[in-house]
Amino acid sequence: MKKSVIAATLAAALLFAGSASAQIKIGFHAPQSGPAAADGKSSTIGAEIARDWINEKGGVLGQKIELVIYDDQNKPDQAVPIANKLIGQDKAVAAVSGSYSAPTRAAAAVFQQVHIPYVSAYGVHPDITKEGNWAFRGVQLGPPQGKGAAKFIADKFGKVKVAMVTMNNDFGQSIAEGFKEEAPKLGLTIVKEYTFGLGERQFGPIVASVKADNPDVVYAIGYYFVGGPLVAQLRAGGLKQPIIGAQAFDSMKLMEIAKDAAEGVYIVGGMDRGRKTPADFQPYLAEFKKRAGYDAEAVSANCYSSVMLVADAIKRAGSTDPAKIREALAATKDFPMLTGPLHYFNSVGEIYSPLEVTQVKNGAFVGVTVVDDPSILAPPK
Amino acid sequence: MLFVELVVQGLVYGCMYAMMAVGLTLVYGLLRILHIAHAGVFALGAYMTVTVANATGSLALGFLVATVVSAIAGIAIYRLAYQPILHHAAFVPMVVSIGLFIVMQEAFRLIFGAYGIAFDKNPWYVAHVNLVGINLTYVEIAMVIMSVVLLVGFGLFAGLTRAGIGWRATVTDPHMATSFGVDPVRVRYVNFLFGSALAGIAGGLVGLLNNYVEPTMGGAVSYKALAIVVLGGLGSVRGTLIASLVLGVVEAFGAIYLANIFDRDAIGFLFLIVVLMVRPQGLLGRG
Repeated sequence: MKKSVIAATLAAALLFAGSASAQIKIGFHAPQSGPAAADGKSSTIGAEIARDWINEKGGVLGQKIELVIYDDQNKPDQAVPIANKLIGQDKAVAAVSGSYSAPTRAAAAVFQQVHIPYVSAYGVHPDITKEGNWAFRGVQLGPPQGKGAAKFIADKFGKVKVAMVTMNNDFGQSIAEGFKEEAPKLGLTIVKEYTFGLGERQFGPIVASVKADNPDVVYAIGYYFVGGPLVAQLRAGGLKQPIIGAQAFDSMKLMEIAKDAAEGVYIVGGMDRGRKTPADFQPYLAEFKKRAGYDAEAVSANCYSSVMLVADAIKRAGSTDPAKIREALAATKDFPMLTGPLHYFNSVGEIYSPLEVTQVKNGAFVGVTVVDDPSILAPPK
Repeated sequence: MLFVELVVQGLVYGCMYAMMAVGLTLVYGLLRILHIAHAGVFALGAYMTVTVANATGSLALGFLVATVVSAIAGIAIYRLAYQPILHHAAFVPMVVSIGLFIVMQEAFRLIFGAYGIAFDKNPWYVAHVNLVGINLTYVEIAMVIMSVVLLVGFGLFAGLTRAGIGWRATVTDPHMATSFGVDPVRVRYVNFLFGSALAGIAGGLVGLLNNYVEPTMGGAVSYKALAIVVLGGLGSVRGTLIASLVLGVVEAFGAIYLANIFDRDAIGFLFLIVVLMVRPQGLLGRG
């Protein structure tokens, strides 16, 4: 009896596997264990929602989409064998990275070699697309984000004195670079730049020193889990100046951690949760909350949109030939990403997309303005 | 003014390190084990505090549960992980300890989720007093008071009570102490109980200070506390306390004046290397 059940299950599994091979396979990797597991979980859910919604509408080219998902533990040495597996074993026709810069850079080199199109959903390191013309980026590079922040601060507050508090990793440094380049041109004065490590949660010395500098605004570049404690400690230290945060502040955890101290914080590259466009934005927020049990942040939306973008490219290519998919991706015009319209990719696969600025009001991210100035935001080549 | 403020901030961090590092020193002094998993107990204390406080609304109950659970966890680690392998070379328990720490971190992630947890109510976190121009939050003040009270209490226990004297005798010469009727196994239990309870309370306080409890929060503390123990002269409680405060202050200045070259976590080790080059036995270690 037991044996027959096992045999039947096996047969069913084989049948299922047989039918699955007729699907279009898109590779996906994200850190699902280790220190970056939280973002990895969100990005995976985002990508899965895209897959499910595409398939509910009949898939692409009459075939269902299958996401082949791997855990890269946020390690480059895991990302390389994963890329090889996706290519050799799974026969993926395209791939999306739901991971940070380091593993994405490593995998991009592999996909470049065998000519499989690859989209980095939110990894901001410049080198990812430098691997060649098979890599694309679904998010603005660090430097344009920094320049956009300088533009916002100059427009909103005038020629003010800025104290920078920067995280000393790829993400923080590349944004800071753009900011420091643009700020003097717009008449901003950078009084001092402080740096800190990814593991930092206690900013007492930095707060004391910023207070002594007495800047007009504080520009903080870091993830929400450092942003939360930093914002709260700046306020506890008696600083009342406006705080402008970078894109990765965009998480409901920011408010959970910083509580009332988060009120009034601006985020350049944030996501206005009240926005009605594109049409799938509000349904996405609701669906994400249902599946994850917590509110969506930009990271998950980027992964959702990147999978949607790849599916759209396959549709436009009318083929699962990776070369044709790559061409279709490169020719993308005005694709509705959840984080803002993707106007075009430049010659090296960098996105041009406006930057949304949000502010925390009554515990929610509310849209303030949009920085959309090609002379500042155009991706570097 | 900034100078004074940085010293004060450094001392606050130093108090936090002291509560962590004393437990490590006690274990090293007694068993010659580098007890890395101590940082796991620290994170456990933070998780107990935040989950109980969020569930019941009582921070005091959170700390009580954290203290008790951490103490039990410490004893369990000794009894189940270390005691059976004490006769092996010193690196064996250390490897076990590292493994245990990794298992604990991943267990926190599986049980409590990959995202960290914030306190629902944490009124002390932004509320502050202004002492002659220096802002200190209530959590920072609580950290200093708690560490002073607990460590002075421990000092009195070790110096004045019969059990404390027995404990010190065991650290100095286990055989002699045993022949005077001190039960060395009981001393070890007391040791793990006290050190782990202290780490658990420190974890809860750091959770309040950051208003964020996360699976990897023991990571930075684990190797920093190790550096402090080495810095203080392995096994010297007094050396550990001094090293904790010194490291806190060095880090506070480093975070401002050296951070463009090293981050705060690296500064501690740079300092450790410099001190060990001059005094290989640590600040108060016996040569």
